[in-house]
Amino acid sequence: MASVKTPQREPGMLNSMLDKTRMTRRGFLAGSAVAGGATALSLNPFMWALANNRVQFVPGSGEWLPTVCQGCTTWCVKEAYVQDGRVLRIRGHQKSKITGTSGCVRQNMALTELYDPDRVRFPMKRTNPNKGRGEDPGFVKISWEEAMDTFADKLLELRQKGEPHKYMTTRGRYGFLSGIMLSNMAKIIGSPNDITHSAICAEADKFGPYYMEGNWGYRQYDLTNSRYQLCFGTDPVAANRQVSFATKEWGNMLDHATVAVVDPRFSSTAQKADEWLPTRPGEDSALAMALAHVILVEGLWHKPFVGDFSDGRNRFIAGRTVDEADFDELHTHGLVKWWNLELKDRTPAWAAEKTDLPVEQIMRVARGLGEAAPRVGIWMSRGLHMTTRGAYASMCGHSLAGLLGAAESKGGSMRFSGTPLGSLPGGAGYHDAIAQEGVTKEKIDRRGRLEFPAMAGGRPGAGVISAQPAQSILEEDPYGIEVLYSSWNNFAYAMPHAKEWEEALKKVPFHVHSTLNLAETSMFADIILPAAHSMFERWNVIANSGNGYGVVGIQQPMVKVGDVRDDEGEIPWLLAEALARKGFSAPLDYLKNDFVDPETGAKPTNGMELALIAVKMMTYPFWGPEQNVGGDKFSGWAEFLKVGTWNSDPYKYESRWSNMGTKTGKFEFYSETLKNSLTVHAEKHGVGIDEVLRVCNYEARGEQAFIPHYESPRRYGSESEYPMLLVDHKHKLNREGRGCNHAWYVGERDVEPGDIKYQDAAKFNPIDANRLGIKTGDDIRLTTETGSVTCKAGVWEGVRPGCVVKAYGMGHWAYGRNVSREFGKTAIGGNNNELIPRDYDRLSGSSVFFGQIGVRVEKV
Amino acid sequence: MGYGMVIDQQLCVGCAACTIACKAENNTPVGFNWCDKITRTEGTFPNVRYEYISTMCNHCENAPCVQACPTQAMYKDRDTGLTLHNPNKCIGCKACMVNCPYGVIKFNWDAPHPDWRDTDRISAGTFSPREMVAEVGADGSPTSNPERDSTYPSVRARGTVEKCTFCDHRLAQNLEPACVEACPSGARQFGDIDDPNSAVSKLVKLHGGRGLRAELGTKPRVIYIRDYRPSRRVSPARPENKG
Repeated sequence: MASVKTPQREPGMLNSMLDKTRMTRRGFLAGSAVAGGATALSLNPFMWALANNRVQFVPGSGEWLPTVCQGCTTWCVKEAYVQDGRVLRIRGHQKSKITGTSGCVRQNMALTELYDPDRVRFPMKRTNPNKGRGEDPGFVKISWEEAMDTFADKLLELRQKGEPHKYMTTRGRYGFLSGIMLSNMAKIIGSPNDITHSAICAEADKFGPYYMEGNWGYRQYDLTNSRYQLCFGTDPVAANRQVSFATKEWGNMLDHATVAVVDPRFSSTAQKADEWLPTRPGEDSALAMALAHVILVEGLWHKPFVGDFSDGRNRFIAGRTVDEADFDELHTHGLVKWWNLELKDRTPAWAAEKTDLPVEQIMRVARGLGEAAPRVGIWMSRGLHMTTRGAYASMCGHSLAGLLGAAESKGGSMRFSGTPLGSLPGGAGYHDAIAQEGVTKEKIDRRGRLEFPAMAGGRPGAGVISAQPAQSILEEDPYGIEVLYSSWNNFAYAMPHAKEWEEALKKVPFHVHSTLNLAETSMFADIILPAAHSMFERWNVIANSGNGYGVVGIQQPMVKVGDVRDDEGEIPWLLAEALARKGFSAPLDYLKNDFVDPETGAKPTNGMELALIAVKMMTYPFWGPEQNVGGDKFSGWAEFLKVGTWNSDPYKYESRWSNMGTKTGKFEFYSETLKNSLTVHAEKHGVGIDEVLRVCNYEARGEQAFIPHYESPRRYGSESEYPMLLVDHKHKLNREGRGCNHAWYVGERDVEPGDIKYQDAAKFNPIDANRLGIKTGDDIRLTTETGSVTCKAGVWEGVRPGCVVKAYGMGHWAYGRNVSREFGKTAIGGNNNELIPRDYDRLSGSSVFFGQIGVRVEKV
Repeated sequence: MGYGMVIDQQLCVGCAACTIACKAENNTPVGFNWCDKITRTEGTFPNVRYEYISTMCNHCENAPCVQACPTQAMYKDRDTGLTLHNPNKCIGCKACMVNCPYGVIKFNWDAPHPDWRDTDRISAGTFSPREMVAEVGADGSPTSNPERDSTYPSVRARGTVEKCTFCDHRLAQNLEPACVEACPSGARQFGDIDDPNSAVSKLVKLHGGRGLRAELGTKPRVIYIRDYRPSRRVSPARPENKG
């Protein structure tokens, strides 16, 4: 799409124009006298336009086009404002029943990605065979045809060797069409290795909700009816996962709800909360258990949901067991068992010692929760559960939603509303013998091994272990990877123990990176493909949920910057065409035959058509003639395209009570569901459950394994060598790991208090700063067992003493001129992921980012 | 008629959407903003309070910048009450900046967007900043807003000052200022603050409110209401006699 080209305005153009007309500056002004003071126009606009050789654009005369933002995983539906062939700004979609036109700051930060000063413009290939940090790849421009031919050749070589399983795709930020290339075509080629990033996102978050109430997923929150919000390691007004909606509602909610935030950092949400609980890192589950203890001891549990003692007399007394027969449970299962096994001893005094929080505060929060029940939102996020034993931390946090009757209740938390999209064809019919053999190989991430239960959705071995392929590649166990396609990700930066990924990527002989920027991962690639921007340059479908609604949105191409291709439509098509040219036509047959426009019956003849047809197939239930999925109605595709979003019917509270998809159908405090899954995994390996837990580094044994319970944090690095604790967080301007290479990002870093403009600062409480002899702006070195980085120091009271709080998002040795000190070599600051170890919460497969990561600080 | 802004500190979460929206709307260069912030952290751990105060030109009734300007480049618009700037009269003396107690007037020491004039590329197949601007047909920076040009240049001249205009170009089309449109929480309300019956005046009447440094007599038209963290009667997290 061509944009109107206006000449670059040179400084002094006005003066040279004046010279031509031989007017003095004053004379010019006399000619353009401010007319009668009648308007706010300080200058005759016609004269100004003349001086600038510019067409007049009336404010508001542009076009709003629907899209979906992917700056975080809230995935808000949006409208983008296009004027003069450019996207100028973004707002929330006026028809969204989650946000309306409200949207968080990151929506406009999308422009820093679309118009990045160093954005990839053309395909490139590497000419320097040596790969490593500091090695100049020697990228030269090539054509798309050469890029895809080379890629196809490499894949065919693998197939010829009978080793198609050594092809791996890695998925970073994606749309719902991503499976076409990354999974389905990969399988047709013969690889089982479609590796997605979920386990470095917040996968452990889903563990408690699944094993207690059948929801392997995130939750949405009824803020408008809430009376209490308790946030464990969650910062809803600044970071994942409902930021626009939370920001819209939070201030008004403060009029009718109490907010308590559990975080060693005085986060944006804590800044607007009633209670800040600056817990010792990694001890959040102690707090959760003590809150549960108090709620039971003081009779504050929500009886219409949980049930009560048959005679109404509360027998929950600290230290005393209770007879299960005395309690009539309603919609929950195993309450008394849980009390007897765990909660009876989890007193506030015990928790105060673990968390270093005052007993009075723990009591006050517990009582406040009880008083507000069931209108309580229990938020959990990475700070709580992306830790070594995070599966149980997730259960601990979520157990409160059960106790307080908040699960599925008005004012509480709910599973996501349904968004019944149409499915895309999987392509299984195109697997030849080579492919059939390849897809049965063990996956590269070792999921399902004894030490990797990764029990997504109850099934051992079903969950991805996103960070693991690096070690697998280095050890060639189960095997090495020879061809890699990285899509919209930057794993060499985003993975914990990032340097291990650098080493692994060095070993992969052929690597294609589809990307907006030359990021760290790109520097290990052999081919660079300029990717379309998800929000503005491609067709796709995204669905999400919030505020009691499911929402489906479409992304559409509205501008085009550089020689980009739709990454989930055109790139697979071009690859399939290249493979077909060379005699392997199955992928192209799949794309040409199995994708059918539900409206016209047409099949695709190119990649853009493929993407659009796939979008129509997935969204057909919402605009097709049947439209029996409730929610918004449309007269057909044309109207759906114009509006760009569908909202579901409102969520039905309580409809899942006693119908929760767990083994008992109840909210399981004693999880029969977890017991079942652990049994399956243990039996598969011929061991007992206790052995699974031992190998997987959990403390629980026996029945404790099936209940929310306290697990002590695993400390990486001794206290003597690494006396402080690292606390990572998302900077509120982060669009995941992107958008940083721009003045709007680096120049506004101090939007996070304690951070410094244009710098990467680690933040310290003044007590530690004084002890270490550092002040704001000093150069320091941070060292953990895993690695070492240098950065600046920031001093701020909102940091728990003993902690080093550092925002993720800078420390880029590649990416671009505004974040790299010397592009391709050195960074401004340091990447947190060079400090964080590669370890896991093995029951969920999640990577460790939090818990107790010991760090040593030195002045440089 | 006097346009004013009411900012509800209880609704504000300090997200800086206003700052970024203003940069997008008004094409401010690297190094300064028209919509900026003051932040305050008070107290000692764990009894910490933080406040984010979004700032901009206050469009003062008694504008010191207007009084100081020797060429009347800074002036009060009679119809809207806005404090506006005519860059053609501006001689860059900075008297306005010296006299403004809020620091919201900025000076262009260089032609704006020097960072977007770089012509070097980090590799053969990436854009240079200058190429990106040219490719997308923009002026100064790729996100320059041509609608801004309708009343004020989207790229200002070296040697002149610039500041917030309450998006006068949008007001002329009955659109709200960009920062108001962008604020996700509804913290920013805009209207005729001289009219006692306007929505903004009623907010001030209901909640009380204060302008920044009001004691200086500038009569700012940006009024802040309520508190960033609502005061409730909760005892401090840690009693004072403990460490």
